[in-house]
Amino acid sequence: MSPVTKREHPTAELVLDVRAAQKRFGDLAVLKGVDLKVYSHEVVCLIGASGSGKSTLLRCCNLLEQLDAGSIQLFGHDLADDRIDENLVRRYTGMVFQSFNLFPHLNVLDNITLAPRRVLGLGRKDAELRAHELLERIGLAAKAKDFPDRLSGGQQQRLAIVRSLAMDPKLLLFDEITSALDPELVGEVLALVGELAQQGMTMVLATHEMSFARDVADSIYFLEGGRMVEHGPPSSIFSSPKEIATQRFLQRIIDAGRL
Amino acid sequence: MALQGADWLASSELPVSLYASSRPRLRGRGGTVASSISTVLIIVLAVAVIASPSAAAFRDGFLNLHQMWIAFKGDPTKGVLSVAKGFMLNLWLSLVCEAIVLVLALAVATLRMTSGPVLKPLRGLSIAYSDFARGVPVILVMLWLGFGVPSLNIKGISSQSPVVYAGFVLVFSYTAYVSEVYRAGILSVPRHQVQAARSLGLSNFATLRYVVLPQAIRNVLPALLNDFTSLQKDTAIVSTLGVLEAVHAAQIAGGVEFNYSGFTIASLLFLAVTVPLTRWTDRLMAKDRSLRLAGNP
Repeated sequence: MSPVTKREHPTAELVLDVRAAQKRFGDLAVLKGVDLKVYSHEVVCLIGASGSGKSTLLRCCNLLEQLDAGSIQLFGHDLADDRIDENLVRRYTGMVFQSFNLFPHLNVLDNITLAPRRVLGLGRKDAELRAHELLERIGLAAKAKDFPDRLSGGQQQRLAIVRSLAMDPKLLLFDEITSALDPELVGEVLALVGELAQQGMTMVLATHEMSFARDVADSIYFLEGGRMVEHGPPSSIFSSPKEIATQRFLQRIIDAGRL
Repeated sequence: MALQGADWLASSELPVSLYASSRPRLRGRGGTVASSISTVLIIVLAVAVIASPSAAAFRDGFLNLHQMWIAFKGDPTKGVLSVAKGFMLNLWLSLVCEAIVLVLALAVATLRMTSGPVLKPLRGLSIAYSDFARGVPVILVMLWLGFGVPSLNIKGISSQSPVVYAGFVLVFSYTAYVSEVYRAGILSVPRHQVQAARSLGLSNFATLRYVVLPQAIRNVLPALLNDFTSLQKDTAIVSTLGVLEAVHAAQIAGGVEFNYSGFTIASLLFLAVTVPLTRWTDRLMAKDRSLRLAGNP
């Protein structure tokens, strides 16, 4: 992948501020005090082995899970506040999943228009107009009336991404969106994410795609065993990681021929 | 040994046989076997009906076309009531009950799927109801209510027509079954679907309404129609309350004419409705499947 020119945004605001986040499932402590800061128009990549807590962290950020301790501030609001409407939180933060999770009973167009119509109250016409624009953008306009299971994995995941975009989110969370894809389909999905980065979308990605992270991310967070071990710009994380755990992890990635 | 095991890979002859050694496989001959079994079965049944010692009496008592016709259209001069007219009540009752059952059962199922402490007493109640209604034979509930409630002499309730009690009992019993079907359907929708919907900002209710239920109902449509067929048949139990429907009319015809052909015609009437219904269910499912695979709206 060709290096992407970094974006310049002088008026960056703090979009997401996670402090000392802790989460356990029964006896298993998944997050043991993680910090994360995401500024507007920034692309942040969470890297680390499976089970390091990347996905859980993302899921806590749009309230699919609740933190046990610590705090998450989203657009300056504490998510633990009782007055927070979780539907509004999710309306402004899109999430894309590893397994696409398209709605199999709805065609491509309806998959995109469902939330804008039912949550934003858009009329069918307006919602479909917008959906067509989005489909045009990912080259799937001709498939508008098809059902999702007729699409390739790459097409399905790109559809899932524009389904989130249709809600006009201020923050996008990507949970290992290429992990379920055949290798030859990964490129088209990452290309779309790269485009979004170019256009200034604020994004947090849990990912195993190291070269993508290196080329597109503004900052990298390395997680291990529920702890944030090291973070910084890709240049320093990938070229001169300070922590031994980070070095070991990256060495394994390089040995596997993935960086 | 371990290395020797790999020798056959290099040799041109495979030491592996994929042919069944003993029993010949049915594959390819399955159709022939099936049709010969059917033929034998039909012959056995035909011999039993035609050639058995009591065959003539059976044919006259159950398969008498003339008697069937009398029972079908009724004969006021003899006091024989029309099975066909009675069957209209079965149809009408089953349609009304099914409509109510489909709505009520969805409410019960949804209630059972809710979380949160507020609805906990209602959840417990719906579980108790479903256990009770499914655990007691419909005919017992029918007798219990049909004869019990009128004897209670409650104004406005005890003086209803037996059809109302019958309908109430059918709705009571079938709502429990159908709510379990709905519940199975709701549980069959992957959790990921709910998460995807919620992460788009859809409320709990909107998620249920637009994402979960459409998939759930599609998944259990055969089971729902199956229960409808069953309900349609169980309207016959209403005869225990003396309601004049197909089975009761056939009983009367049988008593007057000393002939049971009325039961045969009643059975045929039920079959005339349930068989097309079942076939239609199958076609609906096949169509739905091919539609989704073909990708047309």
